[in-house]
Amino acid sequence: MKDIISLEFLKTPELAVIVGLIFGILAVVSLLFFIISKIKPRANIDELVSRTKSWWIMAVIFVAATVFNTTVSYVALAFLSFVAFRELYSLLGFRQSDRRAIFWAFVSIPIQYYLAYIGWYGAYIIFIPVMMFLLLPLRFIIKGDTEGITQSMSLLQWSLMLTVFGLSHMAYLLSLPELQGFAAGGLGLLFFLVFLTEINDVMQFTWGKLLGRRKIIPKVSPNKTWEGLIGGVICTTVIGSFLRFLTPLSMLEVLFVSFMIAIAGFVGDVVMSSIKRDVGVKDTGSIIPGHGGLLDRIDSLSYTAPTFFHLVYYLAY
Amino acid sequence: MQKLVLQFTYSLLVRWFLRLIIGVQFDDSKFLLKEEQFIIVANHNSHLDTMAIMASVPRKMVHKIQPVAAQDYFGKTKWRQTVGRFFINFLLIPRKRGQSDLQDDPISQMIAALDTGNSLIIFPEGTRGEPEKEQPLKPGIGKVLSLRPDIKYVPVFMYGMGKAMPKGDGLILPTNARLLYGQPTTINKPKISDILQQIEADLSDLKAKMANHSN
Repeated sequence: MKDIISLEFLKTPELAVIVGLIFGILAVVSLLFFIISKIKPRANIDELVSRTKSWWIMAVIFVAATVFNTTVSYVALAFLSFVAFRELYSLLGFRQSDRRAIFWAFVSIPIQYYLAYIGWYGAYIIFIPVMMFLLLPLRFIIKGDTEGITQSMSLLQWSLMLTVFGLSHMAYLLSLPELQGFAAGGLGLLFFLVFLTEINDVMQFTWGKLLGRRKIIPKVSPNKTWEGLIGGVICTTVIGSFLRFLTPLSMLEVLFVSFMIAIAGFVGDVVMSSIKRDVGVKDTGSIIPGHGGLLDRIDSLSYTAPTFFHLVYYLAY
Repeated sequence: MQKLVLQFTYSLLVRWFLRLIIGVQFDDSKFLLKEEQFIIVANHNSHLDTMAIMASVPRKMVHKIQPVAAQDYFGKTKWRQTVGRFFINFLLIPRKRGQSDLQDDPISQMIAALDTGNSLIIFPEGTRGEPEKEQPLKPGIGKVLSLRPDIKYVPVFMYGMGKAMPKGDGLILPTNARLLYGQPTTINKPKISDILQQIEADLSDLKAKMANHSN
């Protein structure tokens, strides 16, 4: 019972620093927008203000869900996967006869996160890519509606990989064994990953707005420019190196890992953009004002989480 | 007592269940507080429709709103009737028209409920249709509105409920769904076919608005 509220971050200075940093940045940005709106009342920053407001809420929820109690963190991250999967599959045009198979896919979410919770790496890492991959088609076959079955099977497995398998790497960070002389632990790694991924999104967006001219893939996402990408990658890599205290990595390794997060974040972002373009929607939902759906915000995470996890797992564990 | 139970059930339990687990996005319904009495007319694809509408109205008026339901289905057993009367607060009407005496007439039953000051939820499509497909409207709503022309109707369009829980399938599946309110409106013409046309146009406007918004 003593672990219900463990306030891990008060005992670990590294975590206190990053939590302070997150809210510090938000406070500065909010103040900045407030001043701009006073000086230049006509400046069109409504969207940025509503985005920042949502960032506040997301930061509070994320910090509350992670620092108080580790068990709660797994449940919160599983819920994140659940909403992301729900948003993604709702967009993808499944048939009515796919409902039972989709239900199985939903059931796999708590199992995947439970495997992460108990730290059974071998089972966790194959559960969705191997076991669900082999099992889900069976449920489609029992139903027996073969017209369009290949498409449904593929879409469902692919959705699970992106929103459940990918994102669940965040949860497994918390189950990594303790390392000697590394105080921040799994929670530190999780903060590093999420903070850097979101900073990378913001940096690429900002550099793109400021300098963006040469489009990278206009057919998929007209807002993605070389200037935004390069500016974002450089900033993210530099910022990542300052957050080395959250990881057990050497300086060179941290630079490399941060660079990879920046690249993976970009790829995750444009992959989700291409899907939205295909199904003809602008946002995946509307639960986060100014941002759209949850998936619009965490699309990069489904790419950065596995990238970061396996790099760290290889380099430090 | 029933008022408190209904408010707790719909404005808290059902609302948050639909929001967090099913993924229903509700529309702002504060404007309903300005209306004293109204009839909500909505498209119908799922048992979740009634739940979603009851959960979407302002908490203060939940107990004053009665969903109109078919007697032969929801009143099949005494138990169903009692539980439903208490927890859904429904108004049971017989589905077969023109064969019974005046007392049993569905229209006069709805009028009687309106005359007590309650608001109604009516699904003019009648029974639940296939997911995301609209059916022609039944004339009952037109008759009620032409008899009480001062009462406004409020169009409601829902998307995705039939995917979350379609007819004939007990499995509830989380899926992104949405509920959208239209403006409270009085009828322009007393003719029943005109009223039905007016409502149909309002509902398809809402449907178009929903499609535009998500694009």
